[in-house]
Amino acid sequence: MVARDKLNLLKDKFGPAILRADLPADDRLFVYIEPVVVRDVCRYMFGDMDARYIISIGADDRPFSGKFMVAHNFAFDPEKLLVSVLVHVPADNPKLDSISGVVPAANWAEREIRDMVGVEFEGHCYPKRLVLPDGWPDGVHPLRKDFAWNEVPKDFDDEREFKFDEPPAGCTVVPFGPFHPTLDEPAHFRLYVEGEMVRGCEYRGFMVHRGIEKLAESVLTYNDIPMMAERICGICGCVHNVAYAQAVESAAAIKPPPRAEYLRTVMLEIERLHSHLLWVGLACHIVGFDTLFMQSFRIREPIMWIAEKISGNRKTYGLCLIGGVRCDITPEMRTELRAVLDKLEAEWRPVVAAVLKDKNIQKRTRGIGVADKAACKRSGLIGPVARAAGVDIDCRRDHPYAVYDRVRFNVITDDGGDVWSRVVVRAKEVFEAIEIIRQCLDKMEPGPIQLDIKDELPIGRLGLSSVEAPRGESHHFVITGENNRPRRWRVRAPTYQNLQGVPAMIKDQQLADMTISLGSIDPCFSCTDRLETIDLKSGATKVWTQEELLKLVRAKKA
Amino acid sequence: MDFPEPIRLLAFLLGMMAFVAVNAAYLVWAERKGAGRFQRRPGPTEVGWAGLLQPVADGIKLISKQVIVPPGADPILFRVAPLLVMAPAMMTLAVIPFSETLVGRDINVGLVFVFAFGAINVMAIMMGGWASRNKYAIISAARVVSQDVAYEIPMLLVVITLLMVTGTMNLNEIVQQQAGWFWHWNLFRLDVNPLMPVTFIIFFICMLAETNRAPFDMAEAESELVAGAFTEYAGMGFGVFFMAEYANIVVGCSLATVLFLGGWQSPFGVGSGVIWFLLKMYALVFTVIWVRWTFPRTQFYSLLNLSWKILIPISMVTLVLTCILLKLT
Repeated sequence: MVARDKLNLLKDKFGPAILRADLPADDRLFVYIEPVVVRDVCRYMFGDMDARYIISIGADDRPFSGKFMVAHNFAFDPEKLLVSVLVHVPADNPKLDSISGVVPAANWAEREIRDMVGVEFEGHCYPKRLVLPDGWPDGVHPLRKDFAWNEVPKDFDDEREFKFDEPPAGCTVVPFGPFHPTLDEPAHFRLYVEGEMVRGCEYRGFMVHRGIEKLAESVLTYNDIPMMAERICGICGCVHNVAYAQAVESAAAIKPPPRAEYLRTVMLEIERLHSHLLWVGLACHIVGFDTLFMQSFRIREPIMWIAEKISGNRKTYGLCLIGGVRCDITPEMRTELRAVLDKLEAEWRPVVAAVLKDKNIQKRTRGIGVADKAACKRSGLIGPVARAAGVDIDCRRDHPYAVYDRVRFNVITDDGGDVWSRVVVRAKEVFEAIEIIRQCLDKMEPGPIQLDIKDELPIGRLGLSSVEAPRGESHHFVITGENNRPRRWRVRAPTYQNLQGVPAMIKDQQLADMTISLGSIDPCFSCTDRLETIDLKSGATKVWTQEELLKLVRAKKA
Repeated sequence: MDFPEPIRLLAFLLGMMAFVAVNAAYLVWAERKGAGRFQRRPGPTEVGWAGLLQPVADGIKLISKQVIVPPGADPILFRVAPLLVMAPAMMTLAVIPFSETLVGRDINVGLVFVFAFGAINVMAIMMGGWASRNKYAIISAARVVSQDVAYEIPMLLVVITLLMVTGTMNLNEIVQQQAGWFWHWNLFRLDVNPLMPVTFIIFFICMLAETNRAPFDMAEAESELVAGAFTEYAGMGFGVFFMAEYANIVVGCSLATVLFLGGWQSPFGVGSGVIWFLLKMYALVFTVIWVRWTFPRTQFYSLLNLSWKILIPISMVTLVLTCILLKLT
């Protein structure tokens, strides 16, 4: 009844401005409101009702309702409720009040909608291009339905330079990325440095957009998309795969068979295991401690082998279809997986004990990259970053999916809010993941792993799904559509929100602490960059132009 | 062996260069092999038996790379820096006594000579960083200078302490004073200074810092500064910096052996010779490698704090203590 209670609260407050509401289940709420009250509703929910901001979604709804659509998604974690506030924006004058003033975490999402769909947000605090490449012409919005998925705008200007802000007086700009030894993926930070102190930064990322969302709504079909979703990220792909499948299932009211849900849980936790071990290794590498880096990679390796044995791949398991999974765990694999888990636990325990006692690592990471509870709320920080600051959220418990409501586990929190706390949280979560897999293996009953879906999926339904990725909540929003494919599919990877907290973390810190602060959110830029075309810019000594590269790619294809 | 002086000098010069080159190449191999063992993996195994030809392969690769001088870099300083970082390491080895007779130039101010040339290393790295016209390189250069200023002081204080004990700056004489059983080594001369082992540890820490080795490798902290002062160097330019690092380790460990561990003296009073020198020196080199893979990198400011707030006061204390004890006896 939680959803109805929240709806009544909103109705009491805003009355006729609430146009209609949809309560498909007790843990989902869709509220359609008048555009004029969007800022007030969001302020009320974010402030008075203490909701957690998740993401904003823009969609071109003109072929269906003649309007653009913007959705602001919120979560009520203790009440296990996900809410979507939907607004229709007139097509001839696509303008909407910005909520970035009352919900600072919406900064990027609104800029992205402005880039991709072309809805202007009035009163936005920093209305600057976020996603589209430097040379992309103004006024062309790739996620509109009248823009073809394979189109390149005619006036794309290779030579156009991105205008960065002027650094504050007395500061020097030190570029960090796109290519840097501790960045595994491209992103560009312009650090404003005074001596060795970082005073601020500007971020320019989204360099590896692959147009995944556009492809999904124009070329692929429902069961192609899980494979594409998996390729959003090289480390936590299975998360996106499951989140997408669950979003569609929740929209179409499909319930996968229990064994499939157990298998999803097992694979998600296997992914968490290898991802956390990988992160501990990389964090050690960043602080210049390669010995532990090598150790954690050695300990991690058997997990990769068992994943390959189960799914056929070390990564990119290709696990989910709508209504089930594609691979099963045989009794032999079950025994082997148990042995791997026992070995991993036995090897990881002494490492954690040693790390938690190590003075050098503590000295290096305590008080560094601090994000407290207020910062988590403000920037919408999630996952281990939030839990390290004492914010007790975990989608596995708060918005249970798969079989997380049928297994026992602890949500690990710490109260430092610094890099050290994030190390502690991740190191301990490994043991919880091992426990979850063991319980699943115990409880798993034989049965079908895939539902037989005979009917077409209903059209125009909305689906939300939050999955706890190793890095935090991965949120998927789906509007089902015609031609066996969704009308709109929006992915919010955890790094998308966590990255927005980085500028506050690194401010007034030593330059040397920049890398570990950034590393401590476990950034995954490819996750964040899903949307559109590739930005290739090689600066002064340009060897390949974008055009030449594109020609090369096309020649190879032909 | 009575060769005319010029031929003897030439032979020594060539010998030194070969010694430095072989050491630099095979210490890299030893480091990689050692790191592998510390981390429970095999290290290089592909090129030659146990990867023994790996340094050769690396050398060929580096030599075959194009040397790129970035536009806007200072062309002269940029090219001179690698030479300046390598040359002093070879020069200083000329006064190190490998055995009683095996010494390039047995000069009376040997110790001063070593430190005078050793300081050039810092200047060369700074030149390289400055000339690269790269922000990472310049930050690194600034770090190198402040780090080395900070660590030169405790190191020299320690050396002065030692000088008061030996009363000579001739390295050969210093070794000869330590003849006999190992308790005659300066390291164990507790009668003149009960803190002598501490003095040695300070010397060793400072040596790590001066040679920019982990955990003090602020200059090339790759997670922050890419490759620091060497970012813009390609091919053998980088290779020379890399070799110089190991050459400097050899020099530093040789000096520590001579000053504290009795140089070529046998620990049992009989059978002294070059073998003991090499044994002691490589034991120290191994410790240097060991330290690198055991400790995480420190932050730059805590590094400076360590020197100014801990090492310098302690070395002052040992200095004063030695003064008093020498006066009393």
